[in-house]
Amino acid sequence: MTKSRGVDLLPWVILALVVVVYGGWALAPSSALYADVLTPELLLAAAALVKLVYLLAGALWAFACRDRLEEDNPARPAWALLSVGLGATFVGQLSYAPYQLLGRAAPFPSVGDLYFILAYPFLVAAFVVLLRAYRESGFPVGSLGERLAIVCGVGLLATVVAVPILKPVVNAEGPLLERVLTVMYPVLDLVLLVPLALLLRVALRLRGSHVGSVWAFILGGMIFMCVGDISFAYFSALGWTHLDPFVHLTFILSYGLIAGGAYRQYRLLHS
Amino acid sequence: METSETVRVVAQVLGPYIGETMARSATEAHCEKLGITDGSISSEQTEALLGKLAGGLNIFLGRDKAAAAIAEVRSALRSREAGR
Repeated sequence: MTKSRGVDLLPWVILALVVVVYGGWALAPSSALYADVLTPELLLAAAALVKLVYLLAGALWAFACRDRLEEDNPARPAWALLSVGLGATFVGQLSYAPYQLLGRAAPFPSVGDLYFILAYPFLVAAFVVLLRAYRESGFPVGSLGERLAIVCGVGLLATVVAVPILKPVVNAEGPLLERVLTVMYPVLDLVLLVPLALLLRVALRLRGSHVGSVWAFILGGMIFMCVGDISFAYFSALGWTHLDPFVHLTFILSYGLIAGGAYRQYRLLHS
Repeated sequence: METSETVRVVAQVLGPYIGETMARSATEAHCEKLGITDGSISSEQTEALLGKLAGGLNIFLGRDKAAAAIAEVRSALRSREAGR
């Protein structure tokens, strides 16, 4: 194995290791390993650190992609918007750091939520700009009818899946702001799913290629983000705090995959 | 060269960059827009097609890499032409 290939593989080895550790924590939280060695405090602090590293790396690589594209390239604003979206998420996560690095649960709601919510318009705009760029460039993104069918399909699926999941969240007791925010995250995720579904159609045609792998990682990461938010809302509403490791795992996977996708695009533009 | 052969060569060369499915469908879509029909394709039509493809590839690869990919296509088409 060459040195550069080894360096390329290292982040994926780390991500796989993190998945194994946090997956194990989610499946067997009361085992001796997780009770005595990898304690919840330690794993919470490590999760905070890993998320911060992936988010910062993703934001910087996305910005580097924007920087590598020419000023008149229609995809350039999309990478800038993705970078800002990831940057806002990073700041939100950073506000949790003083708690999580000390092994304590971060308060909810907090100032961090402002940044997490702020990230969504940037992420949605990034994908819409990218879709428009693909369409204008002459790449097939589907007829208007096909695109409308995808949007309606996602809307219908989101309603069918989200309504029963969010029902206990809406009916849960607690301060109004907490309940509003708990519902707002999954709802914003569902909005994000619309451009993601349209991009997925494009990404499927790119499969097996360099660009295809970029979008497989980024879209996969975004889907894990949606799963993480919905899980967080549902588990919080039902008081299933023992499933927190699963939520951490989905967010680590989300940020890791997005950062990986941005890095691949950067390498593609840089090579 | 036949249009179908050109489409095949373009899809083969651009496949590693954007996938054969996307490369083929983009090439066919551009052919249709440029009025390139089945049968033989002229060198002017080929250049027009490559120009359109380069514009689209910019989005994914940036201008320099898109130009390099199109140069690869051009070279593959020439080799095919020379080998006939």
